[in-house]
Amino acid sequence: MGYSGARGGLEAILAAEDLVRRKRDHAPAPWASTEQITARFRLAVDRVMGEAGLYDEPTAAAAFRQAEGDTLEASHLLRAQRSTLPRLAVSEPVDPDEMTVLRRIVPAFREPDGPQLLGRTSDYTGRLLERPEGPPQPPPETAAPGAAAGPAERTEAQRRPGRFLDLLRKNDLAVEGRTADDPEPYDITRKPARPPAERSAVLAAMARAESGALVALWYRSVLGPDGDVHEITLGELRHGRLPLRVRHPHTGNPVAVGEFRVTEAEAVEDLDGADEDRTRFDVGYGLCFGHNERKAIAMANLDIANRRFGRSGPLEQLLLLTIDGLDSGGFLEHLKLPHYVTFRSMVERKQAMRAAAEAGEDPPARVAEPAGKDCR
Amino acid sequence: MNTTTYDTPQSPQASRVGALVAAADAGGPAAGLLDEDAKREIRRACLAAVCVPGYQVPFGSREMPVARGWGSGGLQVTLGVIGTDDTVKVIDQGDDAGVNATNLRRMIAQTTGCGESADTREATVVQTRHRVPEEALDDRHVLVYQVPVPEPLRGVQKSVAECARMHAEGDYSAMWVSLYEDIVRNGMITASTGYPVLVGGRYVMATSPIPRWDVPRLHQAEHLNLFGAGREKRIYAVPPHTEVRPLTFDDVPFEVEHEPGGRCKFCGSDDVYLVNAGTEGAFACSDTEWCARVQAGDADTAAHRERAPLALLPDPTARAGRRGAPALRAAAADDAPEPVRRPAAGGPEWALRVDGIGKVHGAGGAAAVPGTGPEHGTAISPSTGAVVAAWDVSFDVAPGEALGLIGESGSGKSTVLRCVIGDEPATAGRVHLASVDGGASEVLALPPAVRRRLRIDSMAVVYQDPAAGLDLRVSAGGNIAERLTAAGWRGYHAIRRRAGELLDRVEVPLSRMDDPVHTFSGGMRQRVQIAKALATEPPVLLLDEPTTGLDASVAAGVLDLLRSLLAERDVAAVVVSHDFSVIEALTDRTLVMQTGRVVERGLTDQLFHDPHHPYTQRLVAAARR
Repeated sequence: MGYSGARGGLEAILAAEDLVRRKRDHAPAPWASTEQITARFRLAVDRVMGEAGLYDEPTAAAAFRQAEGDTLEASHLLRAQRSTLPRLAVSEPVDPDEMTVLRRIVPAFREPDGPQLLGRTSDYTGRLLERPEGPPQPPPETAAPGAAAGPAERTEAQRRPGRFLDLLRKNDLAVEGRTADDPEPYDITRKPARPPAERSAVLAAMARAESGALVALWYRSVLGPDGDVHEITLGELRHGRLPLRVRHPHTGNPVAVGEFRVTEAEAVEDLDGADEDRTRFDVGYGLCFGHNERKAIAMANLDIANRRFGRSGPLEQLLLLTIDGLDSGGFLEHLKLPHYVTFRSMVERKQAMRAAAEAGEDPPARVAEPAGKDCR
Repeated sequence: MNTTTYDTPQSPQASRVGALVAAADAGGPAAGLLDEDAKREIRRACLAAVCVPGYQVPFGSREMPVARGWGSGGLQVTLGVIGTDDTVKVIDQGDDAGVNATNLRRMIAQTTGCGESADTREATVVQTRHRVPEEALDDRHVLVYQVPVPEPLRGVQKSVAECARMHAEGDYSAMWVSLYEDIVRNGMITASTGYPVLVGGRYVMATSPIPRWDVPRLHQAEHLNLFGAGREKRIYAVPPHTEVRPLTFDDVPFEVEHEPGGRCKFCGSDDVYLVNAGTEGAFACSDTEWCARVQAGDADTAAHRERAPLALLPDPTARAGRRGAPALRAAAADDAPEPVRRPAAGGPEWALRVDGIGKVHGAGGAAAVPGTGPEHGTAISPSTGAVVAAWDVSFDVAPGEALGLIGESGSGKSTVLRCVIGDEPATAGRVHLASVDGGASEVLALPPAVRRRLRIDSMAVVYQDPAAGLDLRVSAGGNIAERLTAAGWRGYHAIRRRAGELLDRVEVPLSRMDDPVHTFSGGMRQRVQIAKALATEPPVLLLDEPTTGLDASVAAGVLDLLRSLLAERDVAAVVVSHDFSVIEALTDRTLVMQTGRVVERGLTDQLFHDPHHPYTQRLVAAARR
């Protein structure tokens, strides 16, 4: 009966699983160890951690391998894994000012507070395909011209530079967005967020978003019909390490239990609305797991666009409900499931309409568009 | 911070944490797909859903090992309610052996230790996608539906915030309009699966999507129905013995799927949900368990025939028959679902009373008022710069009376009207309607939901721009149906009669009744808007420059129409216009407004023939030119 009836469905499923395992795990190629994946596919692993909302490089690397490089599938594996685990503790609030900076650029200032630190980036490297025969030679003892001989000495101030927003504040160029009441951040993994939602809910949705979906929505907001992103000056972009602290279950004291890398962005918006302070700027904020600059920048721009226009247009709903990769991908993939019961019902209505027409009712000469369009 | 703190190593909680950590560290295969806290949360959501049938309860939907859309919601509900002494049955399209069903059943049984069966009679929890089993379900059964789209209103409203408001207020007229338009366009309701139902007389609910064939099985069911939508993070329920009515008009029968002469090619049943089998036009039971048991003689087919919705098979002769103009007759008294509200005897003499309405745009509120008004020649506050659009405007209107508000553009007359109807908040003042508590309640202080409801049948407005009062994509009849269904009309023919009668009265040809309003001329649109405003015979009618956007000859026609409509009705009307000829044609008394204030008031005739205030004299002279 084929797949729809799939008599003996379990056998078919087991056979499909076996085929995947064979081709994947026993491919005629060396095994890719978890260390290889975290070291050689660093950005993919970072992306998976960010979209899953779970930071653990070896676990993400295992998921990436199991998913054969499909980052969305890998995020799904991570999130399903997390569903099986109890929530043992909630971390202390993270202070991004504690970041140990690995890379930091401030496009909006020539000489910001602290260094312009390119760090590990291929932004300025010509995109020329290299096809090495085998592993590269060991790196030369002497560094490339222009590069420092070794890690340069950094002062604490250089490692932890002041941030762009503080510069703006110092010059009285930023509106004050901080409120006296500091509410608990909205936990989108426990409470589904729908419009109208708090800013923290929208930020969390963006931090976990599928990176391509977020960038696409950012671009839609620049070039699309809504035009919610106007000024696209990037204030600051950072990649660095932050400590994670939880309260000790016995002593109650905060204890650092690990470190994680994040990308952080601050984007400028030129306020010009009737009810806005048109003499100042506002700053949007983006932060996501790992090294994912496109995502952090899109998030920062969309954060401020949402605060300005989310409620008056579709943006808030788009951000809260349409950028999660597992939601959109899963819904799309479910189209592969059998739908012959529902399709039969649709066919029945078509035939009923045709029968009515054949029974003598002429179709109306002018037909309005349907009032309401379903997608289910 | 919702930081979890733990007291001492000996405390039960700490030892629980220790056990959990040890279990996690052991690294073996996961004992369950969901941690216990998540299951508790799901059970709480299920209980809330049972308490409020048909209401979508949000829950912190977890990611499952199956993709969103592959039953992640149903799976979570099943895992939340199932125990080791349960027996699970899983069907997809009615089939136990489909790959998705097989896979889910394997996961559920392996991770919970429950029994599994394909026999509905043995099962206690049945997880389903798209079907209700043909076998009878009773109080031992929990039927768990996998739901892709839990929001029944999404077709007619894309904003989720607006959908939430509509549910909260029971404002489902958009759904009714979509059904009305469907019949008009197609001669029948063409909604196929996931047919919307009204649960317990309160919430409109999406049915999973199961075929229409299965929808009657929800009504006064013996079993508990739980619906899990994992992607949209909603759980809802139809508890046993709950009223579940498919949304349809009283005189348009709900139809289940039917294939004349169709029988299952395996078991011969003709009273089951049939799906296509092969490409040669054959059919088979979608419920494979039932089919096998009928073949084996292990099925109570007589009892099943009793349950089958054979009374709901399509009957073309019983259909509404959309085409052609409705037979016009005076709408029967029983057409209207409830008596139109009228002031109680002994109530106030006025239908609408407006007391000291004021509106200030900008800073200052009432403090901005001094220094503005006609005697200062400005509406701009010298102290705050705010615009005092209207201040201290008071009037009342009696049933059968028409009151004019006249003034130049910018004099504040439309602002007064918008404050009264609720399109913008007033800075000051009070509004009373005789139809609301006999005039006791102050309308501006009512909650927004209550104020919106007043617009259904207590107070209607006709805007200068027809697009403000109409949905231009919907037919002329559908626009009127929107107001009627909001007021509770549920008869398709009654709605068409009423709409036809109104359109006829406003001289819109009935041949255009089913055309979308965007195909109408400006004058025709305005007539449709007037018909819609009068649909429920509201005791108060507000007209904001009703003829201003129209050509002179078209405006004259609409004006004639309004004059006779007001004359033949007992409605209290407020007419806003800059044009004294409109005011003179329609109204009995008039207030003259200048820079936000009333400068003169009196009988329209007297004002027109003997204006005292120089400003009024200017307006009259302009009208006589």
